[in-house]
Amino acid sequence: MLMSEPSPIVLVIDDEIQIRRFLRTGFELNGFVVHEAGTGAEALRSATLRPIDLVIVDLGLPDMDGAEVVERIRSWSSVPIIVLSVRSSEAQKVHLLELGADDYVVKPFGMAELLARVRVALRRQMRAVSGEPTVKAGPLTIDLAARAVLLNDKRLTLTPKEYRLLQVLAQHAGNVVTHQHLLKEVWGSIHVHDTHYLRIFVRKLRQKIEPHPDSPKILVTELGVGYRLVQSGNEGDAGSWSDTAPAKTET
Amino acid sequence: MYNALKLESIRRELPGVSMTLGLVVFLTAVLFFLVWQIGLAHGSVVFLIPVVIAATRWGIVSAVVAAICGVLASAFFFYPPLYSFRIRDPQEVLDLVLFIFVAVTVSQLATRLKRQLEMARQREIDLRDLYAFSRRLAVAFDVSDIHAAIEDHLATIMQRNVVLFASAREASKSSGRRAGVTVPERVLTEAVEIASGHRDTAGGVTVTAEGGEIWLVRAVSAKSLEFGVIAINLGHETKERIDELRIRVDAVLADATATLERLGVAHAISEARMRSQTDQLREALIGSVSHELRTPLASILGAATVLSAAPALRQEKKLTALVHDVRDEAERLNNDIQNLLDATRISSDGIKPHAEWADPADIINSAVERCRHRLADRRLEVDLPRDLPLIHVDPVLVQQALVQIFDNAVKYSAPSSLITVAARAQDGRLTISVTDQGAGLTSAEKSKIWDRFARGERHAATTSGSGLGLWIAHAFIAANDGKVSAVSEGPGLGTTVAIELQVTQAAVPQLESDADE
Repeated sequence: MLMSEPSPIVLVIDDEIQIRRFLRTGFELNGFVVHEAGTGAEALRSATLRPIDLVIVDLGLPDMDGAEVVERIRSWSSVPIIVLSVRSSEAQKVHLLELGADDYVVKPFGMAELLARVRVALRRQMRAVSGEPTVKAGPLTIDLAARAVLLNDKRLTLTPKEYRLLQVLAQHAGNVVTHQHLLKEVWGSIHVHDTHYLRIFVRKLRQKIEPHPDSPKILVTELGVGYRLVQSGNEGDAGSWSDTAPAKTET
Repeated sequence: MYNALKLESIRRELPGVSMTLGLVVFLTAVLFFLVWQIGLAHGSVVFLIPVVIAATRWGIVSAVVAAICGVLASAFFFYPPLYSFRIRDPQEVLDLVLFIFVAVTVSQLATRLKRQLEMARQREIDLRDLYAFSRRLAVAFDVSDIHAAIEDHLATIMQRNVVLFASAREASKSSGRRAGVTVPERVLTEAVEIASGHRDTAGGVTVTAEGGEIWLVRAVSAKSLEFGVIAINLGHETKERIDELRIRVDAVLADATATLERLGVAHAISEARMRSQTDQLREALIGSVSHELRTPLASILGAATVLSAAPALRQEKKLTALVHDVRDEAERLNNDIQNLLDATRISSDGIKPHAEWADPADIINSAVERCRHRLADRRLEVDLPRDLPLIHVDPVLVQQALVQIFDNAVKYSAPSSLITVAARAQDGRLTISVTDQGAGLTSAEKSKIWDRFARGERHAATTSGSGLGLWIAHAFIAANDGKVSAVSEGPGLGTTVAIELQVTQAAVPQLESDADE
């Protein structure tokens, strides 16, 4: 555990008791305090009664849609929210992110993957509270206050649009940012469907900031959803269930 | 009401009567001229001409008018005393009787003839419609086509709004095929009753809806409910007219059902319905079973990853290996279930791609990332040129297809062998190829690998799998208007699977300048 602050409190909302149980164990082993809720109503009550640092919400709840829980919590709180979704629903993911969810994890997932997302969300929340102006992603440093971008401590020259794109991603560093949000922020709301603008600018930007633009590690694509600026320290654990897994062939 | 009817009938007769009068006046003038010039004695028989013309053309009223006027005209102009209606000759009374007799007989004959002609014409139209109907039935593809054909046929013949309910369920959903026809609640209830077989009414029932419109509801065929139940809007009509229409409906339906029975449509309908129900049941079963299996799997996988990272277990090498086995096997099971779900999705409602402009490099990198775990003990080479064109596809579907192809490459090749992924743009096409140094393909296998549940027989004993992978890849790429092909030098010489996607050539430079603005 990197955090030296008091244990962060996470609210786990899922109607499957087995899922709640392994999430509780996984979080507690990593120094979190866990609250549980089995229904949307219980979750909303719990979220208003006690201070909470993070919310994990499953989309299929018995009493209300997970999206509604996200929307209602977001109406009065900026607490980070991570959604547990299923595959083949990119449009739904985009919708949830637009409602205010910070990130999503696709079921089934490994604990390491979820923890990586959780740490990113907590770090971002902390930065927002403390007003920390620099974002680091591998060899890249983005100083939001000075509007400067450094690669291996050398200042990069970016066009205004390239900088704006990087700035929006850095403001959400570690979290996925939807195509629509990026297009609206950089090109204006009339261009929210012109994904090709993004593709071309991301390509140019990667040539400048990625050590290997062919296999990007800093500005990564979330297919069908958006882009993510991967922060230093969690490139390795996000997206795979374990690095220590022995190689195994299917027999 | 009575006055209105009388006025109406007078208006209807008026043109005929006035034509008749004109005719009589004209004839009188001609006769008068002839009598005066040539000295003809009696012209009264000539007045039969307007009587016959009026009777055949304009009906009995005009004919009688012609008869009376003819007698009056001849009395006035031609019989002494001239220029007076007084009659001296009894011949004239006989003329009147004769004229009226001719008027009535001829006009009745003419009317009957006209009615027969009308009926023959109607019959011809009905037969033509019936012929069109049976032709349409012959090309009907499924049950709903047949029902639409019945409905259209009745609507054409009756010239009324017709709604056909294929089943009680459909009636309760109130889903008339025909847009713009709203069926009143009372009619619906009646239709449900009849369609569910609760009521036995061969001739159907009439229902008066809220607006006073009269609807006839009856089963299409008295013998079988397979053809559905129809509701016909007869409109605002008198009792007699309704009875007339009902007789007509009976006749039309009798013809229609005879056609349906002759073509064996009832059997076809029930067969098709059974088949589609079986299909639906199977798809639903696979869908729900897969979903039910995934939920516990998510718990198993999650719990296994928690265990594998638990400090208490880290020292125990053997136990850690066991936990990894649990995790890997659960992951494999999850992939199989995902394949089943994808297969259900493909065959049940087809795939609807969400196309957007995508960078092929992104798609390939993300597929590689997704397979990183599975590709871990193969040497992987990714060969991507810098200037790949953007493609307009559903990137997620293409990525999932690539994942299936990677999976296949891993499955049929040895550990630490080389797998190459390359992308090339040429002639308006983008080709992504995956080459392995594995088992290769025999020519028999080459022809079968895109089939559903196809499994390489040489490897069935040593490799597991459902045989769905490449079939899914093929379907996903086809949904993006692309092609997949496999090339192999032969058994043991490796395989290259290539995805070919279209590049909208002209669009790309245009995009570049757009984005720079």
